[in-house]
Amino acid sequence: MKSLLLELESRAAPDLLTVTIDSHTRLKHFATAEATLARNPGHLNGYPLVAHGWGRGRELNESVKVPLEVRHGSPDARELLAVSLASGIASFEGGGISYNLPYAKDVPLQESLEAWRQVDSLCGVFAEHGVIVDREMFGTLTAVLVPPSISLAISVLEAVLAAREGVRCVSIAYPQGGEALQDIAALHSIPLLAERYLPESVETFSVLHQYMGVFPKGRSVADALILYGGLVGRIGGAAKIITKTNHEAYGIPDTRANVEGMRVTEAACSSFLDFVQVDQERVALERDWILCEVAELVEPLLACDDLVAAICRAFANGSLDVPFSASRHARSAVIPARDTRGAIRYRDCGSLPFSEATRKRQAQSLSGTNSDPDGLKVIESITADINYFAAHDVSKGEPLPQLLQEAS
Amino acid sequence: MTTETRSVILGVAASDAHAVANHLIAGRLRYAGFAVENLGVCTPLEEFAEALERSPHSIAIVIGSLNGHAYEDLRSLPQLRAEGRLDRPVILGGNLSVGSRKSNESLELLRGLGVDVILDDPDKLPFVLDSLCRPQLVDAQ
Ligand code: B12
Repeated sequence: MKSLLLELESRAAPDLLTVTIDSHTRLKHFATAEATLARNPGHLNGYPLVAHGWGRGRELNESVKVPLEVRHGSPDARELLAVSLASGIASFEGGGISYNLPYAKDVPLQESLEAWRQVDSLCGVFAEHGVIVDREMFGTLTAVLVPPSISLAISVLEAVLAAREGVRCVSIAYPQGGEALQDIAALHSIPLLAERYLPESVETFSVLHQYMGVFPKGRSVADALILYGGLVGRIGGAAKIITKTNHEAYGIPDTRANVEGMRVTEAACSSFLDFVQVDQERVALERDWILCEVAELVEPLLACDDLVAAICRAFANGSLDVPFSASRHARSAVIPARDTRGAIRYRDCGSLPFSEATRKRQAQSLSGTNSDPDGLKVIESITADINYFAAHDVSKGEPLPQLLQEAS
Repeated sequence: MTTETRSVILGVAASDAHAVANHLIAGRLRYAGFAVENLGVCTPLEEFAEALERSPHSIAIVIGSLNGHAYEDLRSLPQLRAEGRLDRPVILGGNLSVGSRKSNESLELLRGLGVDVILDDPDKLPFVLDSLCRPQLVDAQ
């Protein structure tokens, strides 16, 4: 990890670097992480910070000049936070909803929200002593076809909970969905949502996660998608962009692919691309739709005395939901679909408390697409929407490296 | 054709939370006429074994693994089999090792654990499962 970070720092000069934690540690299987580290470190898909301990964590942190952020996916991140803070790392991703539903099967929301309340309250104590910990909300959720209003509504709820515990610096991460106007509109919504729902004492930053869904395999298409993400982030005014690599479709990327991803993204932010502009009126329209949907999702909950209980109830009855949940504690009755421009809409709003006007607009935005509700066709069209960018591999006929040997 | 519903047990490996393919594979198999007991993400082999003991008529165990930890997550397969458990074909698919360069060696390690079929394309699952049922089909004729 140290050599990876040092090489990234010297070859790509990013403003910050992330330490991604392995799956065993995320699920608090610390013993498995430690055993794998001892037996076969190459089999780990991330950095086992808890197994390494804060001494090595601090060494890692001090070996680079830029700040580190810990990214993981733990429904209960209390140990990991302790080791991260003791390592001197002051940026910590996650939340009681966004690090539960995409990452665990059967952790009740009540439990993860309580664990994250403790995370936030510790960050609040640090803030009182002048150490500001950046708490990033993982609006990416399940990453595949996540409608912007679901992503932002859940981040708003987590940010409100964090602010109540004394957190003073919040980053709201939004996953690039693939349609520029919608993505830029979502990024533009973030400061407005912060103004509307967060206390003034909280500083908010907007973050773009470059396309988090199924990546194309072909290198040039993958690089183009990374460039596209950089442009969307810049035009949307993101304070931070988390970059992808052209290895995404294959597996954990090597250093070189990481460096290339950062460089391509930086190129997207160069002034010679200033000519790329978007229709601001359409962006404003999309933004207003998003703000309205988020309000319909969060305001009934924010009006409750016990916000945590209200959130748990909402997921149980489907008035909050995420598509393709990994967890049993969300219904996944919401079915997303792309419109003809590629923007992510609701094919089925499930039990979300949307107004008649919102439902109607959603239905209208999908006219002209195949919204026939027949079983197999739905699966097929969802699959096509998921493979929206990967589909470019096939049509361009670029020879692709073989991923898996066909078996018996 | 047999009129009995063919049952399979589906799930994602123990350390792996990738859910999307699992949702879609469950849908497709159900559409193809299989009864699917979907154990979902983060399912240790022990839970697959328990599910099979509850539904002994299941014809196969279908496991997905995307996060690269397939080998670590399936390590206990030989032991379970030695105990006489999980005695159905184990079909495995996904992204089966860490890193972006895949080798046959990692697949060999998985076969060494006793994985019966390694598949890349989930659309082939119904055919593979059908081929497992063939003796039953013959009986039915
Ligand atoms: C979406 C996504 C996520 C989402 C998942 C949300 C959720 N809960 O489902 C989020 C952001 C949460 C996530 C998290 C992580 N992810 Co992820 N993720 C992806 C991504 C972008 C797409 C996966 C996806 O949904 N595809 C759509 C479905 C329909 O297809 P599929 O899963 O690719 O499966 C296909 C085949 O593999 C096959 N298949 C799948 N299962 C099965 C089962 C059977 C039986 C068969 C026959 C076939 C089969 O069929 C599918 C269709 O062709 C891929 C990269 C990519 N492909 O572009 C990375 C990827 C799978 N993730 C990866 C990793 C490592 C992780 C993390 C561990 C974080 C990390 N260290 O980076 C965590 C997981 C934590 C954990 N406990 O496991 C790696 C795996 C690396 C490796 N093997 O070397 C990938 C390849 C990214 C990368 N290049 O690093 N991820």
